[in-house]
Amino acid sequence: MDTTIEDQVVERQIQVKFVTKLPPQLRVVSSAFAIPAKLGRYGLSEVVNTLLGLEKPQPFDFLIDGELLRTTVEQFLLTKGITAETTLTIEYIPVVLPPEPQQPRSHDEWVSAVSGYNARFIATGSYDNHGRIWNASGECVFLLQGHSDVITSLAPIPAPGSSAKQFQLVTASKDHTLRFWQVALNEATSSTVTLKPLKRLKGHTSSVQSVAASPSGHEVCSGSWDTSIKLWNLREETEGEEDLAGKKRRLETGAVNSSEKQVDARVTFQGHTQVVGGLDWSDRDTIYSASWDHSLRSWDVETAVNTQTLTSSKALHCLSVGGEGNALLAAGGADHLLRIWDPRLPGTVAPVFQLSSHTSWISACKWHPKSSFHILTASFDGTVKLWDTRATIPLITLNQHKDKVLSADWWKNDNIVSGGADSQLHIYSKLDLSF
Amino acid sequence: MASVVTKRKTRSQGPPTPEEKPKPKPVVEDDGPIPEVIVAGDDSDSDPEISTDGEESGEDGMSEEGGEGEAESGSEDEADGDDDDFDGSEYGSGEEGDESSGDEEEVDEDARNYVLDVMKDFLTGAVGTNGEGGKEEEANGNGVGEPEGEAEGEAVNPTAAEESDSSEDEVPDRNTIGDVPLEWYKNEDHIGYTKDGLKIKKQARRDQLDTFLARTEDANEWRKVYDEYNDEEVELTKEEIDMIRRLRQGKIPHAEVNPYEPYVDWFEYEDKGHPLSSAPEPKRRFIPSKWEAKKVVKLVRAIRKGWIKLDKPKEKPEFYLMWGDDLKTSDKTANGLAYIAAPKTKLPGHEESYNPPVEYIPTPEEVKSYESMYEEDRPKFIPTRFPSLRQVPAYPRYINEIFERCLDLYLCPRQKKDRKQFDPETLIPKLPKPKDLQPYPSTCYMEYRGHNAAVTSMSTDSTGEWLATGSMDGTVRLWDVQSGRCRKVWDFGLKINNVQWNPNPQINMLGVAVDKDVVLLSTELGGEEVIANVSSLLTLKEAGAEESPLATWGLDEKFKSLRVRQPFVVQSFVWHHKGDYFATVAPDGITKSVLVHQLSKQQSQNPFRKHHGRVVRVLFHPQRPFLFVATKMHVRIYNLAKQQLSKKLMTSLNEISSMAIHPGGDNLILGSQESKMVWFDMDLSTKPYKAFKNHTKDIRAVAFHKTYPLFASCSDDGTTSVFHGMVYSDLLQNPLLVPLKILLGHKTVNHKGVMDCLFHPRQPWLFTSGADSIVKLYCN
Repeated sequence: MDTTIEDQVVERQIQVKFVTKLPPQLRVVSSAFAIPAKLGRYGLSEVVNTLLGLEKPQPFDFLIDGELLRTTVEQFLLTKGITAETTLTIEYIPVVLPPEPQQPRSHDEWVSAVSGYNARFIATGSYDNHGRIWNASGECVFLLQGHSDVITSLAPIPAPGSSAKQFQLVTASKDHTLRFWQVALNEATSSTVTLKPLKRLKGHTSSVQSVAASPSGHEVCSGSWDTSIKLWNLREETEGEEDLAGKKRRLETGAVNSSEKQVDARVTFQGHTQVVGGLDWSDRDTIYSASWDHSLRSWDVETAVNTQTLTSSKALHCLSVGGEGNALLAAGGADHLLRIWDPRLPGTVAPVFQLSSHTSWISACKWHPKSSFHILTASFDGTVKLWDTRATIPLITLNQHKDKVLSADWWKNDNIVSGGADSQLHIYSKLDLSF
Repeated sequence: MASVVTKRKTRSQGPPTPEEKPKPKPVVEDDGPIPEVIVAGDDSDSDPEISTDGEESGEDGMSEEGGEGEAESGSEDEADGDDDDFDGSEYGSGEEGDESSGDEEEVDEDARNYVLDVMKDFLTGAVGTNGEGGKEEEANGNGVGEPEGEAEGEAVNPTAAEESDSSEDEVPDRNTIGDVPLEWYKNEDHIGYTKDGLKIKKQARRDQLDTFLARTEDANEWRKVYDEYNDEEVELTKEEIDMIRRLRQGKIPHAEVNPYEPYVDWFEYEDKGHPLSSAPEPKRRFIPSKWEAKKVVKLVRAIRKGWIKLDKPKEKPEFYLMWGDDLKTSDKTANGLAYIAAPKTKLPGHEESYNPPVEYIPTPEEVKSYESMYEEDRPKFIPTRFPSLRQVPAYPRYINEIFERCLDLYLCPRQKKDRKQFDPETLIPKLPKPKDLQPYPSTCYMEYRGHNAAVTSMSTDSTGEWLATGSMDGTVRLWDVQSGRCRKVWDFGLKINNVQWNPNPQINMLGVAVDKDVVLLSTELGGEEVIANVSSLLTLKEAGAEESPLATWGLDEKFKSLRVRQPFVVQSFVWHHKGDYFATVAPDGITKSVLVHQLSKQQSQNPFRKHHGRVVRVLFHPQRPFLFVATKMHVRIYNLAKQQLSKKLMTSLNEISSMAIHPGGDNLILGSQESKMVWFDMDLSTKPYKAFKNHTKDIRAVAFHKTYPLFASCSDDGTTSVFHGMVYSDLLQNPLLVPLKILLGHKTVNHKGVMDCLFHPRQPWLFTSGADSIVKLYCN
């Protein structure tokens, strides 16, 4: 009895076993160790470092039962109700270190949209009505001129096969139109080349707020303040006159710009009652949309039918589909919470995750293209945060922006780019993510 | 007490002489002289019976004497004998009323004892008298005793006592010390006390010589016994000596008692008419009854079969008092008055204590001041201190107070007080919790910064994408609601009084009230067609250019827009919901203070000949052709189609500052400068349905939400209050108004707080503009 009391008072020891998926030189012996229970992440990291005998200490993050350790082991076990008697298996992963910010790229106006889809270039849309394409060295290579009002969002068009040659994207604007741009990337130039849009996608009766391209790259969908979602076909000439859907209509009208072809909407999805703030078309058959009417809807592309509706309590501004099984819906809105729904769960109403750390509206959210845990959010509080869904607090908070952050994206898979109301495009160094 | 015993014994010996014992029967006849003797002692003892009898039933005693003699059985006598003690005591108490002295009482006691003894003797059969004899004797006693009853007190004379008993009997115990050990008085010179409390001196004890001499002189000296208790010599009688001798020999003390008396068949019945059967008890008395068993079986069967129901259901009375409960008839007494318990008197407190705490005791000055008081005001009781309870004097007002209390109880009318038990919680109206009434604006997430002075007015377009604000710094700004970006600035250089977005999305136009002008600006939003439409509307028509005394329509060069100039400063204006008409308020215009302008025809008109007071606000009904005109104290509702006054709302306010109408059109809220807000249900009444006083300073603006059941008021105290205001389509249900939230955040500048509040047309969000030049957006 005396010994147990002493143990409780003095120090509780826990049997742990460290495992990892890291390369062999970073693996420790798979035998159990007794460690003090009051150790936190830092303490455990020290333990692993001593075990490894690394010359240069490397910080680690620790996963217990698929959750990142953010408190002491003892507290974690208490809150989770795990017994301290058995040997605890702790997986360690390298810590995601905050990235180094690079020299920001200045714009004339607020940066409303940013895309890092192309590994060599970053595309941005700005409040000065222009789109820009920046190369890796931080020069504005192309200026996309054509909109008569602010660009609200842009969507890169996946072009399998020809990605190296050319870069296609669609921008949405408050001038009620979308423009389709095609950038020949081999035009390596020193000075900025001004480009004209290839196509004008006209049909919305109000500002276009969001845009997303289909995985095939043949179509884009756009959400607008007129509450509709419209589908646009971009491949009408190349794909042939008769599309599979057979709903294609081609109307040659007197375009403003002769070089610019006017495209009409193929289908209109009616259902939302307010502006469609976020769109995602990562699955070939399904479009997800988030709207200010507090609803998240999924649409079947073929039949143009609303298949599922999830309701939030707040207006939603952005949407990203990804994560585990590429099926989780992350949406942020007029709220400081990032909510993540799992539409696969039967009768899903409540979000599976509610990530809370921002202090103002969330303007953008983006799942990591590969990882099923990491998600990026940008907020009007001027921060960009990287989240791991296995932890409730953000991994990294980037507060380089001096004003509202309006958009953020992944670039080259592991770099973060963000644009904000301080008219800057911030690019950060590569993150070391493990997933 | 030994003497008493001896007394009794001697007494019991008295009546029957030893010679008479062998022939008991003749005693009745021969007893002639003896009853005489008894009578003297007996009258005192038989008296009680007579007196009680007489009291109970008049001449019963006489009738008994006459006719009932034979019927009386011995058993009755026995009962009498048993009751004797009781009678005696009763008698004694009765006698005391007749001023009997202690001695007489003692005598009576003796007499009673005597009777008792006689009875005992009689029962034991020592005296061989039959029932008749006993009866006769008693009857005799009664007969003789009765006349003597009155003179009883005097009748008991010592001679009679002497005759009846031995000399000792009349001498009661001198000593009154009771049954205490006599050795207590061994060393005293007295042996005890007389009845009067005087000491009884010890007599000088005779020494041996004296005793010897006395024995030689007196032949009876050997009979004398020394009574230690009374300290005197008692001479035993011959009979007593005899009794002692017999006791010594182990015989029955009374010589006349024959233990072997012949059996007398007292219960012979042959000629007495009371046959007592000697027949043996029949067998049936010992076996259970067959018929009873049968009856029981029958009942059991009936119960089992349910023919007999043991627990019958309680029958409800066919007729009952319908309103019985209401009038509490059960509480009423026979004369119809409800019983009301007497009020309880106050229980004594600390001040009534004989030793009250010091703080209760008045100081001498206070006591003195009591004297100067009026009789009624003077305290009835002045607490006083006593060192012990013993020294508390009798309360002088006791009788008075009891009397007054009785008077109170008797004379004062009483009323039953129904004291209602109220839970204060129940008095508070049951309102739903704000949590259940979500969504409503609560958190500020966005700020629109750019103005340099107080923002006086705000307006949004129909979708809620854009927000226009007008400020004291002379600019009108157009904001992107979502991003908070200022899209456009129009600089007028003069204080902006009001900004109103045209509610018609096809006429995307902004009306700005500046000084004496209303400037109609094209927002250049809404697409090419809309912009074209607006620009065509904003070109000056030649027809409208004519000079009018009311207002001049002209072009504004700076902003390429229309300008409607009026002779007075335009404080506010409102668009009609279709967007073609707008009404302006220029309070200084007096009769021309309210003008209605038509955009398409570019015409102005004055629909009113005069106004009852200074016009503050006007408002179009959201659906019907009504115009609300708010003067400082009243709101008049004009039917524009019929050109007549439709209603006048009595606001009970003195300084109306703002007005907003529910999108349904039947409810109106007014904000006033006396920081009150009132809600009118115009279907219900022309008087306020509810009034709120939720601000401490002037209310600047009130607003309704277009779709959500929300309304808000903002005030110069820097707060904005958000309310839930649910209007039901059911006309019978009154609107539900619940205060939800007080939004803080704006600073007060120059005694101005929140200048305007405006709900987002689609979201449960609220814009507030403050004197601190910031516009805030509160979200749910």
